[in-house]
Amino acid sequence: MGGNETVRAYLPIAAVVAVLALVPIPFVDSRSMMLVITTGLLFAAYTIAFNLIFGSTGQLFLCTGALAGIGGFGSAIVSDRYGIPFVITMVGAAVLSGVFGGLLSWVAVSRSLDTIFTGIVTLAFSLSYENFVLGSRDLTGGENGLPITAGGESIIGGQTAPYYVFLALVAVYLIVYRLIQRSHIGLAFKALRDDEVAAELAGVDVARYRIIAGIIGSIMLGLAGACFAHYRGFIGDTTYGFGSVDVRVLVMLAFGGIGSLIGPIVGAAVFTVLDELLVDYAQLREILYGTVTVILFLSFRQGVVGAITNRLRRRSAVDPIVGGSVDDGEVLETTHEPVS
Amino acid sequence: MTAVLVDGVVLGLQFAILGVGLTLVYGLGGVVNLAHGQMAVLAAIFTARLMDNGLPTVVAAGVGVLGIGLLGIVLDRTLMQPVYRQRGEARILLGLLLMLGVGFVIDGVLEWRYPIEALNLRIAGEPFTVGGLKIRRGSIVASGAAITVGLMLVAFFRYTTFGRATRSVIQDEEGARLCGINPSVVRTVIFGLSGALAGVVAITQSMTSPVVSTAGVSLTIFALIVAVVGGLGSVSGAFLAGILLGVVNTLSAFYIGTFVSSIILVVAAAVTILFRPQGILGTG
Repeated sequence: MGGNETVRAYLPIAAVVAVLALVPIPFVDSRSMMLVITTGLLFAAYTIAFNLIFGSTGQLFLCTGALAGIGGFGSAIVSDRYGIPFVITMVGAAVLSGVFGGLLSWVAVSRSLDTIFTGIVTLAFSLSYENFVLGSRDLTGGENGLPITAGGESIIGGQTAPYYVFLALVAVYLIVYRLIQRSHIGLAFKALRDDEVAAELAGVDVARYRIIAGIIGSIMLGLAGACFAHYRGFIGDTTYGFGSVDVRVLVMLAFGGIGSLIGPIVGAAVFTVLDELLVDYAQLREILYGTVTVILFLSFRQGVVGAITNRLRRRSAVDPIVGGSVDDGEVLETTHEPVS
Repeated sequence: MTAVLVDGVVLGLQFAILGVGLTLVYGLGGVVNLAHGQMAVLAAIFTARLMDNGLPTVVAAGVGVLGIGLLGIVLDRTLMQPVYRQRGEARILLGLLLMLGVGFVIDGVLEWRYPIEALNLRIAGEPFTVGGLKIRRGSIVASGAAITVGLMLVAFFRYTTFGRATRSVIQDEEGARLCGINPSVVRTVIFGLSGALAGVVAITQSMTSPVVSTAGVSLTIFALIVAVVGGLGSVSGAFLAGILLGVVNTLSAFYIGTFVSSIILVVAAAVTILFRPQGILGTG
């Protein structure tokens, strides 16, 4: 029973990774298409991290781009200036993102009314990040951007290989998400989402779990941002800007379904394809994202994917695979309670 | 030093009006308007377009301010209605996310249609000399307008029935309803007023430096920080915080650097949340 359940919990991850591994086959000859799908995986990674912070613990971090940028710029600057291997600087920069994310989380959760305060503090943090990148030209290159040499010679600088590096990153993030969800922390998160006061009364340390989620999610963002910097070989002030990262990540998660395991992948895939189809209308992108955000939050609270699976489930009885892959709240409820 | 201080107060007055608009809407309906700055910029670009089409400056500015006030009313009557049906944390989250989406749309429209448009109402002429201190004409007019609007707001909340009704809804919605006040009408009018105030800020701001079409997000963030430091929902707190942060922002930008000044603003917001979540004027 226990083993069966573990398989069922991780099966969707294996299935998704297997499908994603086949995506590059038609595109291996095209450098531009490889960039498109690799960036798609980057956004999937961002969205999983944001899902961990916002979906699981309800902290509206409006600084996903800034936290990724700390990882990207941090790793690029240190590795290129001091000749430290980029693998080490990536980890270091990711930890730095984690420190910032933890601090933001700590400030916001130290008071009630955390949704507002988290949103405001993190949005303000995004502004100071952007001003910092533009203002400290000798470090970040300001609006001219920053060319990066570290990592260019390794597999992360190739054409097809980086896709699989990012796929590995996405796979690890999904496993981490699932592991956390199935651990004590995950059960506490679920208790928080269902009834914060009751959870607190039962001895769940609300603030502590929020901060832990903030730190882990921010490390994920920083690491993904750092990987992208070394892959791309060039980053600028808009690479991790609010308009280019936060807006998209929010739409992708809202579409895929907040708090679902596979939702971020679906959201990232749909909007990557959509962006490619609308490549000639790039200026209309933000209008589209804004409109979709409003519509999604007004009508489909569990995202489009959640809405579809709910309808399917109502039609046929409970389908454990679909249930397991999309609506995790349900899975935890039905299969986890008896497990000690 | 004194000249920088004067600039700080001028900026602070704009911040104050911006923050008051945001804090009012939050106090009444629990909606944090994350599109507040974008609405201000929209008013600025609208005004600039009207002027390009030959309308006199004063008329164009008036139409711009009223137009954005109207947009506020429309948003309240349409998109915000499902928000007001929610309660507690769910209401706050939904309001925040919907207005964030509206902000994306406004930013997207501006970027698409008017990427390089800006409103510039720089007022020409010799600077005034007040007590040996040279002050630009634009600063004088902008401050005068901001102070006038501020005094009108005070008078509105003190002496008019509707203003008193607004305060009573902020204090206790249920109690106000029992006294025969319709909170829904109050919310709609104040959302419109908040939009108009954002429009006023766009106009006065453009008298000292051009308001560009990409300034929305940063204006929103300034308004948010002012509202937090002043205590969410507190009008007088927002006014005081606006002036204070305007001075701090200008001084640090002048003596240290722009990016440091924005970090100081974030720290100010964080410190307020940690130590005085009720804001600088709040009690308890």
